[in-house]
Amino acid sequence: MIGTVLGRLFVAAALLMPVLAPAAAASLDTVMSRGVLRVAVYRDFAPYSHRDGGTLKGTDVDLAAAVADKMGLRVEFMELTADENMDDDLRNAVWKGSVLGGGVADVMMHVPVNRAFAQRNDLVVIFGAYQRETYAIARDPARVSDTAGFPVFQTEKVGVELDTVPDFYLSGAFGGRLAANVVHYPTVGQAVAGLRAGAVAAVFAPLSELEGALRSAGGDKFPIKPMPAPNLNPSEWSIGMAVKQDGHDLAYRVGDVMTELLESGTVKEIYARHGLTHNRPVE
Amino acid sequence: MKRMFTSIAVAGAVAGGLAVSFSADAARAAGPTDQDIQKDAETPGDVLTYGMGLQGQRHSTLKTINTETIKKMVPVWAFSFGGEKQRGQESQPLVHDGVIYVTGSYSRLFALDARTGEKKWQYDARLPEGIMPCCDVVNRGAAILGDKVYFGTLDARLVALNKDTGKVVWNKKVADYQAGYSMTAAPIIVNGKIITGNSGGEFGVVGAVEARDAETGELVWTRPTVEGNMGTLNGKESTMTGTKNASWTGDLWQTGGGATWLGGTYDAETNSIFFGTGNPAPWNSHLRPGDNLYTSSTLAINPDNGEIKWHFQTTPHDGWDFDGVNEFISFDLKKDGKVIKAGAKADRNGYFFVIDRTNGKLQSATPFVTQTSWATGFDLKTGRPIYNDANRPPNPMDGGGAAAGQGKPIFAAPSFLGGKNWMPMAYSPDTDLFYVPANEWGMDIWNEAITYKKGAAYLGAGFTIKPLFDDYIGALRAIDPKTGKIVWEYKNPAPLWGGVLTTAGNLVFTGTPEGYLKAFDAKTGAEVWKFNTGSGIVGSPITWEMDGEQYVSIVSGWGGAVPLWGGEVAKKVKDINQGGMLWVFKLPKA
Repeated sequence: MIGTVLGRLFVAAALLMPVLAPAAAASLDTVMSRGVLRVAVYRDFAPYSHRDGGTLKGTDVDLAAAVADKMGLRVEFMELTADENMDDDLRNAVWKGSVLGGGVADVMMHVPVNRAFAQRNDLVVIFGAYQRETYAIARDPARVSDTAGFPVFQTEKVGVELDTVPDFYLSGAFGGRLAANVVHYPTVGQAVAGLRAGAVAAVFAPLSELEGALRSAGGDKFPIKPMPAPNLNPSEWSIGMAVKQDGHDLAYRVGDVMTELLESGTVKEIYARHGLTHNRPVE
Repeated sequence: MKRMFTSIAVAGAVAGGLAVSFSADAARAAGPTDQDIQKDAETPGDVLTYGMGLQGQRHSTLKTINTETIKKMVPVWAFSFGGEKQRGQESQPLVHDGVIYVTGSYSRLFALDARTGEKKWQYDARLPEGIMPCCDVVNRGAAILGDKVYFGTLDARLVALNKDTGKVVWNKKVADYQAGYSMTAAPIIVNGKIITGNSGGEFGVVGAVEARDAETGELVWTRPTVEGNMGTLNGKESTMTGTKNASWTGDLWQTGGGATWLGGTYDAETNSIFFGTGNPAPWNSHLRPGDNLYTSSTLAINPDNGEIKWHFQTTPHDGWDFDGVNEFISFDLKKDGKVIKAGAKADRNGYFFVIDRTNGKLQSATPFVTQTSWATGFDLKTGRPIYNDANRPPNPMDGGGAAAGQGKPIFAAPSFLGGKNWMPMAYSPDTDLFYVPANEWGMDIWNEAITYKKGAAYLGAGFTIKPLFDDYIGALRAIDPKTGKIVWEYKNPAPLWGGVLTTAGNLVFTGTPEGYLKAFDAKTGAEVWKFNTGSGIVGSPITWEMDGEQYVSIVSGWGGAVPLWGGEVAKKVKDINQGGMLWVFKLPKA
């Protein structure tokens, strides 16, 4: 009750002073009285958030819409260009905003949930893990057999996204013996295009990105499966959300809603709708 | 062109009485020629080039303002860049025919009456959403030729404006901002060609130098900086840069880095343009064995066709983020009774290089900072560093990192921000000394336990920048290029991040983050004048003569890369306010 009254007062004040504080991140009360949840998603990041014929699509987009819907809110998206690392992205998305303006969002999607990472980023609250990401290989079955291991890439070319864990792993592991057969692409999508064109025999990348790129157009030709990767670290990680550090109440509410969506199978449905495997994070 | 001529003719016919002012307008419209640009360093009545001369010496022959008279120097006027848009002002103004052309943060260009500070026009580039410029929203300056002024924008476009009206003549996309490219350096103009580098882009970028027809903006040639990539000339493939896979494994040459984001200089005597190149990618040097040519290098390029004449690699197989973009300044090295056509570069890696500019041969490499932990020196015969292998940041694949928590840090100096960063040094042919804005800092660098990029796990390095001394980080140093000896130094509490100017009045000017424009005795380093501009200075000062009086100007406005880093350095700069102001000074009339 008190919260609601305060929320109304805040709105009234905001109407009187329209020039103040453009789109500052807000507490639960402010968000509820505003009626809109502002959510940051990455730009050009299929299959999670990307433009398709001008429309924003993807699992993160649908998930955020489902969360907002459960809370009785409208959803508004802020598309975020990825910076050099996620510490920068958290700054641009929720706690400070970009130097180019545009303000901040209430919630950012696709934030890894990891204690050391959270401790380092103490200006945000990271919560609500909704997906466990793993790595997998998509292969051309004519060139890489179902039982093959990484040594096959001593003779076959393998595509990776530049400067990622799969890149480091294949370029550095096994004494660097695979390095000459590693083909670098700017994105997983382009690596998959290379697989389709026969430029590489396989692609090593996060499972859902492979599924997103292959299932969208006759991916069945290229089986996707994990490949035993000794000393690959990390081999999996959890994805959740972030709010600004003073938004604990918002984090609790959004986190509760996400748990409901996980329990009810809505998250799994959304992933399935985009052709992706949903792996529930380990509690 | 034809349409413009017609409309002028009509105006002339209708208002015949304006014939006199029309011819004055025509003279103004003509603007500086290629010859004017080539001899900019000798003509104190204007500043037509970034570097106050294409060689980039930043030296003026003016001496009305000197170590004696400067004590009386006062501000004449100041101009605010206005708006909400402040942040780092790293620009160097140009002066032509009583007009100052100065760029501001967020890709803005202002034309001001040099006598009064009144604004003639302003151009604001309309920046798209989703640009992600590295290291603040700066711009370093414009170029001018004929009736056009030129500058690069944060969304990687090159814009030509009519110098009298500010109207767009042409506007060309140089690179794709969505791939992370931007343009912050001042272009240079050599014989009708406008020559630029490329900047930004963390992922899959290869550096390049490009020449366009200054009149039309059409591309003439391109020269990639990483070996294996093809250059172009007049729309056709020309030659390959270096030899494919000679110093790179696999396909890494396609994404090798070497961005040329700081622009270049030109020397007419050897008809060479000199561009520095950025560090190689990926950051983990253990994944890219070899020298990784031509990253972290200086390239001498023929401006007519884009062919590389020679290269000198300042940090072969870089592992410390020692970007090699720093300016290469041509000068005559008078040594042992001979005059060598030389050039000098103060590199991120802490060494001051003197190189024969006719052939790229190393003459000397001496440290200009107190610590260079990565190398013990340079072998003058081979031109290569003598590495300290224990100081190379470790390979995260070797453990100690991701698997077992945070890896063991090593301490390396200089830090990746460099013994000297982007800010240009100056050379005085009067004192035969270089004036180098240096910084004394190192870095702890370790394999981070866990880090992420766009939602995905990543093997990154963690680092903390640490000042080497309690009482200062910045140091303006006068260096004798004959010996590499430091003749004098001025110590500054905050890191120096602005350019340097020297004059025949035995003066050296530079600005400080604390807000002061300062002047020093060029021979002794004694501070002879200072003025607080109200915000930190990260721009480059200029001087020129107008109506028989000598003027000095500087932009003020704190920003650039320094405020982006926390740690110990932040303590020295956290209280500095932002700004955006052009200041102009002169001596009072007697």
